Amino acid sequence: MQNNFSKEEPEVLLNTAAELIQKSGMDEFIAQYHSGYDWQIRFSNSEQDIMKEWEIDKLEVFLVKDQRTTTLQIDIPTPTIIEKKLKEASVFMKNSPPNQLYAGMEQSIQTPPSISSLFDSRTKDLVENGSENVYHAIDAALAEGAKKVSGVLYFGSQITSLRTSHGFSGEYAASYYRATLRAFVGSESSGQDLLCGRNLDDFSTKMKNVGRNAGKIASMAVNPKTGIAGIYDVILSPTVGGNIFGEITDAANPLLTMLGMSPLQDKLGAQLGPESLTIRDNPLLGEGLNARPFDVEGTPSQVTPLVENGKLINFVHNTSSAIQTGGKSTGNSNFVDFGGGSQILAPFTSNIEYQPGDFSHEEIIAESKKPTIYITSNWYTRFTNMMEGTFSTIPRDGLFYVENGEIQYPIRNVRLSDNLLRMMKNIIQIGRDVQQVQWWEVRTPTFIPTIKVADCHITAPTK
Amino acid sequence: MSIEDSEIFTKNKPLVDFVITEGQNLHLDYVEARYIHLTSEGYTFRNGALLGGGVTRTDGIGLRVLHNGNLVFLTTAKLNRDSLSELVRRAKSKVLAAKRKKPIQFSQEPVVEDEWKTPYQIAFAEVPVEEKQQYFATMDQTLHQEFGKSLPNRTIMVSLANELKYIATNEGSKIFSEKMQPVLHTFNTAVGDSGSEQRFFGIGGTGGWEWFKNQNILQQVRDDTLGLVKTAKHAQSMKLGKIDVIISSEVAGIMAHENVGHPSEADRILGREGAQAGESFYVDLLKDGELGSIQLGNPEVTIIEDPTLPGSSGFYLYDDECVKARPRALIKDGMLNELLLNREFAHRFGVSSNGAARAETYDREPIVRMANTYFKPGSYTLEELAEDINHGMYMKSFSEWNIDDRRYQSKYVGLECYLIEKGEITEKMIRRPILELTTRGILGSVDGVTKSFGSSHGTCGKGDPGQGVPVWMGGGEVRMRGIQLGE
Repeated sequence: MQNNFSKEEPEVLLNTAAELIQKSGMDEFIAQYHSGYDWQIRFSNSEQDIMKEWEIDKLEVFLVKDQRTTTLQIDIPTPTIIEKKLKEASVFMKNSPPNQLYAGMEQSIQTPPSISSLFDSRTKDLVENGSENVYHAIDAALAEGAKKVSGVLYFGSQITSLRTSHGFSGEYAASYYRATLRAFVGSESSGQDLLCGRNLDDFSTKMKNVGRNAGKIASMAVNPKTGIAGIYDVILSPTVGGNIFGEITDAANPLLTMLGMSPLQDKLGAQLGPESLTIRDNPLLGEGLNARPFDVEGTPSQVTPLVENGKLINFVHNTSSAIQTGGKSTGNSNFVDFGGGSQILAPFTSNIEYQPGDFSHEEIIAESKKPTIYITSNWYTRFTNMMEGTFSTIPRDGLFYVENGEIQYPIRNVRLSDNLLRMMKNIIQIGRDVQQVQWWEVRTPTFIPTIKVADCHITAPTK
Repeated sequence: MSIEDSEIFTKNKPLVDFVITEGQNLHLDYVEARYIHLTSEGYTFRNGALLGGGVTRTDGIGLRVLHNGNLVFLTTAKLNRDSLSELVRRAKSKVLAAKRKKPIQFSQEPVVEDEWKTPYQIAFAEVPVEEKQQYFATMDQTLHQEFGKSLPNRTIMVSLANELKYIATNEGSKIFSEKMQPVLHTFNTAVGDSGSEQRFFGIGGTGGWEWFKNQNILQQVRDDTLGLVKTAKHAQSMKLGKIDVIISSEVAGIMAHENVGHPSEADRILGREGAQAGESFYVDLLKDGELGSIQLGNPEVTIIEDPTLPGSSGFYLYDDECVKARPRALIKDGMLNELLLNREFAHRFGVSSNGAARAETYDREPIVRMANTYFKPGSYTLEELAEDINHGMYMKSFSEWNIDDRRYQSKYVGLECYLIEKGEITEKMIRRPILELTTRGILGSVDGVTKSFGSSHGTCGKGDPGQGVPVWMGGGEVRMRGIQLGE
């Protein structure tokens, strides 16, 4: 039986793609090829529900002709399919207006930095022993008093290869894992912990710790009292800080500013937070799940300070946004998905990294004398107005009332309803317990510690 | 012409059937292969300028295998026999390695062979790209001309999708389908005396290019945007205290979806979504009572979930497990009546599936999802609901919303909202009133529903990895009594 595809080596595939694109008369192009596998183990009620596998064999292409642009995503690319898609794309572009967002792409060829530890060859072993590690984590949570455990373990590896019309050629291999585990003692008492990274050293121990931590929080959250609305200092776990303040750091982005989806539109140079707050975009952090040596234009990755001593000093840029704002690319170019078959070449954040503060998690609790609420996890963050930063989010899992330096009791059924910029400005303590978070509610991998914010607005249902 | 005879299915049906045969040859208990050919055409405009656009076509097969009580899901876009044979072998190897203590089982369902299609007159592919782009550019020009500086930021996002699907199982079921799905979103910022207001508005359904004209999409967008501009110009903060509230079908719809639809999902109730979208407060209710005997709201409340609603975003006639779709009354006359079930959870509850299994694409597993969720229309007109309110509010649209992961306590912030005084909906606009209510608080306050039916499009997110499926939410307009607005 004749195969209708051939699995090419990336270099051969990209050479073929580049030739075909040039033959089709394009002015500029980017061709990025991914090949590899992703796997997932989902579990609930302390048992594995399902194992999933996805094979990745995808070519992404960005095309420019007479200032008109389009993107293609081709699964299982072959010369025949690529040629066919290019013909369709040419017709599409011919009938489209010029793209005012596009002002150019990287033209120079620079040597990208080397990032160690992007790939751990032991990742494929998780196909066999991933379940065993999941059950270690489940057992650890049950040992802490949990009655049932749910969660997910993702892992995978792929090779990414890039070619541009300006002569850039590069490739890197990367692997990853990330796990979320939620332990339940009762229907209203639960705890969550996360784990993500690349290096599989001590993986089994790390998974057990995740289970143990989630189980401990769940056990502490038993018999929660109904929370009372009011103004409180709030302690945000790394998971929660990564979600809430992630709405600010992801919004240090000219595309989002232009669309009215950022509270930072006129804030460059403004004091956003205390002097102890320093945040950077860091694609060179090997364990960070968005680490890479170059962006999709071939611009070498670099560390970009976003907030320095509390002041907003940079946005992330690609070549086009940099040209349009009179700046320089920060190497953050991406194919950004706006849904429905339409991708945009635009900047986006990579790994967000907070400078550690001075306090341990325990010290932050101990110094919370006035009424304080400690939020361990949250979800469903939504906005009344993204330009203002007016939002609310729902705490979930262990939620605790703290006073006189101690956790007094667990609470439930309240909401954090506040403003992003007000909260960042009112950060009063930054922990030194930095950990990487990425999960369902935190899409940009963020290295962030526990953070305490003064005078937050907590609301509760009226009926 | 039957859709089964189309070129796409003629070419790929034999491959799907081959997967089933391979699974049977390996003696697997249950084998389900779902082939999808999806064409997605998308555009993003900002203030009339095209930011990005393109057409993406994906073809692939999602394979689910249940064997010895264990479940696996694998996908591939390599549509040739060698690769598919290897896929089935890998599935067997993985399912044999899984060792659940409590086996997963599926309910017994009729074997069916059928096809369904959403009607359309003009396929998206037949319309020149230029004509489509001109339509959306005109939409933006219309808004700009009418609202000028009051509307400084206008974003239009369009998705035109055509999905061809063939599902086969080793039990003998075979379902072909074609669904043509237009969706348009706007994200607009208006400025006025009180600052700025923002609105994310979605319209969707089934149909071809004619849908835009037949549904008068241009007018709908213009009218919605007028509401946003008026709000930015005129809305005032008001301390209203405890009042009676009428919510539009848009707001009623989101409540039906979030406060009733989601907690009705059986996989949430039994914990499968525990680490992601959460569980359901129905767990506690079902410990002490049974469906049909648990009161959740007033008798005026009936919430219907119906995939068979013609022209709807969530339309289908068979779900992704080949179970025939039908309307489900989640709440009937205030009583908890029915859950949303797929085959796995139907078995757990000892009943038949009611056809709630959906998957967004070929590379996502089918899970329990809503389709179109709404307050069943009642007997009132909007004027009649207002007549009986001395001092209250009409909430026509909302901006911010969220709900806890057990689906019990929710928040809806009003966008376009009007004061009701002495039985009349006035032109006085209320700025950002907050409904922060429990599900019982909402459903136990309802005392009237209009006989009209409205619908809003949404993309419902669930699952891990996340899958967004198109849905409608809506129904009649609803009156709630004695609501203390939030702070």
